[in-house]
Amino acid sequence: MRNNCLINRRTYLRGLGATLALPLLETMGWAESPSQKTFKPPVRLGFMFMPHGVIMDQFWPTNPESFLTAPPPCLESLRGVLDQCLMMKGITGVNPAPFNGAPHALELSTWLTATLPNANRRNTVDIAISADQIAANYVGALTALPSLELATMPQTHKENQEGLHEAYYSHCSFSSPTQALPAETNPRTALKRLFQKQDVKPETRTTADPLERSMLDLVLGGARDLRGKLGQTDRHKLDEYLGSVRSLERRIAAIELRQAEAAKAAAGVTSTKRSGSDSVPIEVIIPEGDRRSDYMRVMCDLTVLAFQTDTTRVSTYIGSTPNGVSYPELGFSDEHHSQTHHNNEPVKVDKISKITSFNISQFAYMIKRMQELREGDGTLLDNCIMMWGSGLEDGNTHTRANLPFIIAGRGGGSINTGRYVASSSGNQGDLLSTLLTCAGIPLDRPIGIATKQLTEIMTNA
Amino acid sequence: MSPLFERNQLSYPCFASSRSGASLVRGGLAVMVRLLVMGRFLVGVVFGADPELAAANAEARKSYDEKIVPFVETYCSSCHGEKKRKGGVSFQYALRSPGSPAFRKLWRDSAFNVKGEEMPPEEAQKQPSAEERKVFEDCVSGLKFLSPKDPGSFVIRRLTKIEYANTLHDLFGVDPEIARELPDEVAGAGYLNSLSPLLMEQCLTIANDVLHQIVSVEGAPPTPFEQQLFGDPPAAGTDMEPAARKAARLLARRAYRRPPSEAELDVLLQVFALARDHGQSYAGALRLMLKAVLVSPQFLFITPCGETAPEAEIVPLDDYQLASRLSYLLWATMPDPELSNLADEGKLHDPAVLSAQVRRLLGDPRSRALFDGFGAQWLGLDKLAAKTFEGEKFPQMTPAMRRAMYDEARLFFESLIHENRSLITFIDCDYSFLNETLATIYGLEKTVTGPEMRKVQLTDPNRGGILAMPGILATNSFPNRTSPVKRGVWVLEEVLGQQVPPAPPNVPALEKQDKQTVATLTMRQRTELHRTDPVCANCHKILDPIGFGLENFDAIGRWRDQDESGGAIDPAGELPGKLRFGSPSELKRIIAARADDLCRNLTEKMLAYALCRPLEGYDEIVVDQLTATIARDGYRMQTLITEIITSYPFTHRRTKE
Repeated sequence: MRNNCLINRRTYLRGLGATLALPLLETMGWAESPSQKTFKPPVRLGFMFMPHGVIMDQFWPTNPESFLTAPPPCLESLRGVLDQCLMMKGITGVNPAPFNGAPHALELSTWLTATLPNANRRNTVDIAISADQIAANYVGALTALPSLELATMPQTHKENQEGLHEAYYSHCSFSSPTQALPAETNPRTALKRLFQKQDVKPETRTTADPLERSMLDLVLGGARDLRGKLGQTDRHKLDEYLGSVRSLERRIAAIELRQAEAAKAAAGVTSTKRSGSDSVPIEVIIPEGDRRSDYMRVMCDLTVLAFQTDTTRVSTYIGSTPNGVSYPELGFSDEHHSQTHHNNEPVKVDKISKITSFNISQFAYMIKRMQELREGDGTLLDNCIMMWGSGLEDGNTHTRANLPFIIAGRGGGSINTGRYVASSSGNQGDLLSTLLTCAGIPLDRPIGIATKQLTEIMTNA
Repeated sequence: MSPLFERNQLSYPCFASSRSGASLVRGGLAVMVRLLVMGRFLVGVVFGADPELAAANAEARKSYDEKIVPFVETYCSSCHGEKKRKGGVSFQYALRSPGSPAFRKLWRDSAFNVKGEEMPPEEAQKQPSAEERKVFEDCVSGLKFLSPKDPGSFVIRRLTKIEYANTLHDLFGVDPEIARELPDEVAGAGYLNSLSPLLMEQCLTIANDVLHQIVSVEGAPPTPFEQQLFGDPPAAGTDMEPAARKAARLLARRAYRRPPSEAELDVLLQVFALARDHGQSYAGALRLMLKAVLVSPQFLFITPCGETAPEAEIVPLDDYQLASRLSYLLWATMPDPELSNLADEGKLHDPAVLSAQVRRLLGDPRSRALFDGFGAQWLGLDKLAAKTFEGEKFPQMTPAMRRAMYDEARLFFESLIHENRSLITFIDCDYSFLNETLATIYGLEKTVTGPEMRKVQLTDPNRGGILAMPGILATNSFPNRTSPVKRGVWVLEEVLGQQVPPAPPNVPALEKQDKQTVATLTMRQRTELHRTDPVCANCHKILDPIGFGLENFDAIGRWRDQDESGGAIDPAGELPGKLRFGSPSELKRIIAARADDLCRNLTEKMLAYALCRPLEGYDEIVVDQLTATIARDGYRMQTLITEIITSYPFTHRRTKE
């Protein structure tokens, strides 16, 4: 982690003005169903990833009965919110063949796609749209940012096992089968992007140019002309550009609408949907130094704030990538991967267990923050579906018979939490399909290898 | 392999359909293979128009069917087929499309392993004769002829973060740091070259930042930049369009790095009119136009000049595109006036002119971009700044030390280019670049003082060259100790260009061995236990001797005679072909003798970097030609770079998929 990512100053979101002070409470997203009299907050969907699997007997609860009262060691940090969590054992990952030699490219790239890369075009990105992006396509237009992608490490790993493209080692969000979405690794940039807020150099702060959107329209028109003059292969590349500019236009439009609403509110026009008991937006402090826990925590804060302010409803956080990560603050400098092939040697097992606990504790921090925030009649967490997980079960053998994951949040009442389902049966695609359904995202086809909905996740099962 | 994989594999629907026949390729599949190969072949005939190539293609097709397929079926498929994938290696897909670039490495490595009698393994029942081995190797090397003559596509390429920042600097004089918030990117083979909404948004923000720095606010007197580019505002009441069009043409020629078309100017003029309609002044409207330029695809991408004829499948790069491709490769920034003028004059595609420009660009300090972009990546130095070292054990690894290590490699790389040395110098060399910080690693702190890096003659034959360079040794170590295996893999893969398969799942790690029995062993003795296990032995008997040969260098590259356990280090070893060595310097000599492998590897890596794509079928034929030419010229670095830049795939592009 480079130090310059972390600007050494406290960053306040407080007092930023109306843009932030009201976000969640009203505006377009909330008017989705005019017939609905009582205001119902939207469901938000969040994913957080850790590579290399877990130590099974430290992660899986002993039995459903003791889940709440005597959780396994790695879940210790979730004590107190386990009643908001759901765990299931028996959800299998995508079969890696014919990519058996590239377990770490697959664990991340298949995590939200439940699909294998195209074996005939393995040296390019060709997989499937990921679950978070399916959700973003549906709910993204309702918020200033369609989705938020965060990562702790720069996504620049270079490895091509089984001839697979290196993007598979560091990306889990794909906006189309051929486009891997980069994640933001700098919290300051993420903050700025979320809230159009510059915490430095106030004199350079620019207000939104009212002509920017019309200008982009003209540029887009010119780009279409250019497209007509290009060869076939170039056109695909330019399509990415066109899509990105359109998404930028949409985003500017959403921000403009937000600002208009905020101005109205500032002028005393109150919204009927506003709930007086909602918590005020949390404060995000960008830390000094490069402690991994501080860094991950601020990324979690950003997710909480983005959800709380309804700036986005979909987030994906690659808490750690499968390569080169070490955890000096846990008292050892070994790289995560080097310890996963532990062959049950106690020292290494202990290190992996510590790394897992560490990652889960960051997730627990995020969940607890969400639970502290009031929203409507309940908490922010009540309206979220947060999934923490790894792409392998056992990093030692690269197996994934039981994908390790934790779901937290009741998804607006759709998810039956406080349970451990010890013998479930289904796959990664089933899981993702079910979570999206719980979030109210209609699916026109199963996600990846899915064959069914996992009804035991849901409250009405 | 765990039982789970076996079970899943059997029930995996994709596999069920293709596993009907016991033999992998005969029958239905063999027909499919032939059809695929035919398809490639026909394309070659259509636009290759090269009888020699067509003959080679037919020959490759014949030898594939008659020699390679039976060989793989007889000796390989039982372990590397559909059911078993030992070491993660399988020919299942490769047999379906042998000419596919995805399997190029697999074929090459298999030929290498068969030739070196690494494969089939000793315990296999069936062993090919020496004759069969030779035939297999030759046929595999002919597989490249299954590909038609094809420069590959040069998909319009987005500027990388660094290129974008440098270009903004060259255009407007702004600090390249202005783009620091863009995400870092993956470069080289398989370059991502994608554009996401996030990136687009950041580009717009940066465009606003640039504007803020170089133009005045409404009403204020114009900045020098505005005076130069916008000219004097037309008198009130006159038509502003001619002046605005003139400014647009000037701006677009520079920012698009080619002359804009009239249609492209029209778009910019529309932006100008938009701002005017909203009551902005002449200067204000030009400012919006400037912002439009900075988010236009013509600025963000390297785009061709003019239209591509719809029926043309392969076209030469136009001179403007060539100027950009060259300039971004060697300087990571836009073409300078001299290159732009040559493009305007239509002279750049002349090989003599192009070669002269290559030499000119390499002589300029900006050519350090080739090291920062390519060299550092090739040598792994790009990872050094962020690599973890155990602080208590290696307090020397300060930021200053890491910088010095990086600069050592950079100056060394650059010296080979500037002095036009043989690339063998990478391995076998008696000088390096040190300052006082780095000199402590070499034990030369008495003679080298002061913070500046300077050329130092080395007297110790074990030192010198990339195999003994501290930054590289450190990159290929663990945070707390050396890794003979990592170092061995690095030499094989990055120096000699040979693929090393990943360790199989369930790999028995060093430390698995009973603590008490290994406690007294040296690193070498412990690692050698690897080689008693046949699963590991195949790879490790090549990797380990190289890694052990470098064990005299500790995890940060200092010389030592004993390792951590206190045992004496024994660097002696033997490589296939009965090549024995007793010290790092002797090991270097053996590696340096493989000049052709080194040359081919560096050519391939740099060509892929230059083309911004992985190499494909026909490229291998190009690499053959380049390697031969470079070898004839004494493996000199400038020849290597010039050959790549004047090569067919660098100067041409395919326009269709």
